[in-house]
Amino acid sequence: MNAIEPKPQRWTAFANDYGMVLVLLFLIAAFSVLTLERQSSTGADAGHVVARNIIATHGTSGTVVVVAGLKPPDEAFLREATDALKAAGVTVAATIGGKPADARRTIEHVLQEGHSIDAIAATGDAANWSIYDRIESVGSDKCVSAAPTLWPTFAKSENVLNVANQTAIYAIIAIGMTMVIITAGIDLSVGSLVALSAVATAVFIRDTGAGTETGVGLMIVGCCVGMGVCALAGIFNGAMITRLGIPPFIATLAMMLMARGLARRLSDELSIQALPASFTWIGGAATFGIPNPVILMVVLYAVAHFVMSRTVFGRYVYAVGGNAEAARLSGVPVKRVTVVVYTLCGALAGLGGIVQSSKLGSGDPKLGLMFELDVIAAVVVGGTSLMGGEGRIFGTLIGAFIIAVIKNGMNLMKVGAPEQQIVLGAVVLLAVLVDTLKRRGTAH
Amino acid sequence: MSANIRTRLVVFLISGLLIPGCADNSQHSSGSSTDATTTNSASPAGGESKGTIGYTTMSLTNPFFKVISDSMTKEAAKHGYEVIVVSGDDDVNKQSNQIDDFIVQGVSAIVLTPCDPRSIGQAIKKANDNGIPVFTNDTGYDGDEGEVECHIATDNLQGGRLAGEAMVGLLGETGGTVLIVHKPDASSCLLRVQGFTEVVDAHNAKDGAAKIEVVATLDGKGSREAGYAVTKDAIVSNPNLSAIFAINDPSALGARSALEEAGKQDQVTIIGFDGEKAGKEAILKGTILCDPIQFPELMGKTTIEMILKYFDGEDVPQEILIPSKLYYKEDAEKDPALQAG
Repeated sequence: MNAIEPKPQRWTAFANDYGMVLVLLFLIAAFSVLTLERQSSTGADAGHVVARNIIATHGTSGTVVVVAGLKPPDEAFLREATDALKAAGVTVAATIGGKPADARRTIEHVLQEGHSIDAIAATGDAANWSIYDRIESVGSDKCVSAAPTLWPTFAKSENVLNVANQTAIYAIIAIGMTMVIITAGIDLSVGSLVALSAVATAVFIRDTGAGTETGVGLMIVGCCVGMGVCALAGIFNGAMITRLGIPPFIATLAMMLMARGLARRLSDELSIQALPASFTWIGGAATFGIPNPVILMVVLYAVAHFVMSRTVFGRYVYAVGGNAEAARLSGVPVKRVTVVVYTLCGALAGLGGIVQSSKLGSGDPKLGLMFELDVIAAVVVGGTSLMGGEGRIFGTLIGAFIIAVIKNGMNLMKVGAPEQQIVLGAVVLLAVLVDTLKRRGTAH
Repeated sequence: MSANIRTRLVVFLISGLLIPGCADNSQHSSGSSTDATTTNSASPAGGESKGTIGYTTMSLTNPFFKVISDSMTKEAAKHGYEVIVVSGDDDVNKQSNQIDDFIVQGVSAIVLTPCDPRSIGQAIKKANDNGIPVFTNDTGYDGDEGEVECHIATDNLQGGRLAGEAMVGLLGETGGTVLIVHKPDASSCLLRVQGFTEVVDAHNAKDGAAKIEVVATLDGKGSREAGYAVTKDAIVSNPNLSAIFAINDPSALGARSALEEAGKQDQVTIIGFDGEKAGKEAILKGTILCDPIQFPELMGKTTIEMILKYFDGEDVPQEILIPSKLYYKEDAEKDPALQAG
């Protein structure tokens, strides 16, 4: 996005550079509108509203029970409602944050102690529980809850972080894939390398460490082993392509099969558990509220953008893809650059595998299924040409987000899996179509 | 530029196609903005919706899970709940993302059939942390990171024993050799084979019993193709094979194809498992001897019953096992489900 190169026609250049960003923004806006839904009331505000309403209808002489579930904002609801009721002099017989069974038992206990319940202050969810009608002298008509608020589910902060978190793994792998595709190659082995890295790391930690008690140092060594194995696979891919002249499609197809087989063999076809808590931190925890994979993704994209736009190596990668023969004649070490690119792609797939297995807390040989297709789709949607020589790292990030947003938005809209596949297929086709039309446009 | 306008236009059209699915929600969205409270179960003016249940199944290409999800949807609708059904497509990562989406959607409960009984733990834990109760059916969760309220499944061990009894009934007098077409990565199938082997071993341990010998246990992956392939290999190395126990109907039907190709369908008898439609039809035709059958419809219904019980404030049992039942040709002849087709 930052590397706007001067183009003859300014408005075409603008469309080329920002077209995909506009599509992404449009999608975000569209899904925000389409997922506008009633959100069940909870949290501090709802607690306040409920307390005010109970005081308005029952006065301050009644006895009230405050009920909520176990969702994170329910705590604030309980605190706020209870405080506001107590401050007004209302008797709060019990404050319950728990499962329906806990609430029923507590309410029964309150009644046994001789209280009569005038009202139940509840979150939207808790008001839907069917416990109240089962208790004589209570009944669900005593429930008071705040009206549901209208808010786009898509634009909830949890969802935005979810989308970013779910994209991160694909986006990280897509960095390597972008470089490979810029050299006019392809790497079909990344999905299998995700599994291989996950399994190799898990096996290493299990066999050399103390299972869940493994120290951080050994855990890091394990991750290096996982990434190292995948980097080796990448070197192998690169060597097959440059030294033996095997087409990238075939060389990496073979690696896809071999790596998957190796992952299954290493793991005895079972997912490996007993990983240390420090390992699940990488993919499962958040720093300052931002999931760690997202932070990793942003850092890697910044580095990759720098490498591709500001270094000699970056120029070489574009040169190799643009015209390998011309590049060779002008002194670009074509073979070495190609091997390095495949190695990086393998290592990044390995990193993706570590993030993935860390997120799931297990080294599973079935991980990374069809990842290669999602990753290639992200690169293509991001505007990198399959013909090589053209493409931008940040374009890929936008591409990965476009795909993730479409998937997530459709999930939230309850669109079925078959329809989702059709839409995603159409999106990829469109992206390639745009690329083709652009190419035809510049040819004239 | 024109290309980009076109892109946006088509994306817009795609979104347009999807709008009807959402229209229902936006309809009764205006209204009670001044009226700050609604008494009585907070049900919105028009709908009687009590909430949403998210169900992520293992794979919707297997008709078995389709029956479960349909039955859940039907049963939940009776009680004012909507069920969102999605398929993990045998991919734990996908299933884990689906659970993330359920959490954002604020579903009242999550039901899942884990794509991998162990790797799904972190996702279950995340649902727990967000205060959403988790239920599993068919395949259980095997781990201790997350907490599952209730697991509803077929009693696979008992079903396997029934298959073993059927095998003893078949070969108990004469003895014989048996091939097991297995799927060792599924905990349910491990139980089936365990039950089967228990009964056969008990028979063999009796004095003077004609021995039933398991000559091979091969991985048929629960699929027709792999069931066919391993059976083909097994009849070459065991030409005198007398019977096959296949852990589900697709692999049993695959085994049958292999036998027919080798002309051994009269020599080798097949006992399957599941009782899905194709399996029952094969039993009616006599190509499979019998199946310990499962009751997916009951499984779906029971799952919803347990969720309702949970919201009723009752204690829900950790596990509900639905007993299996042997299903022979006589049963198939009386089965109304097979008359229609």
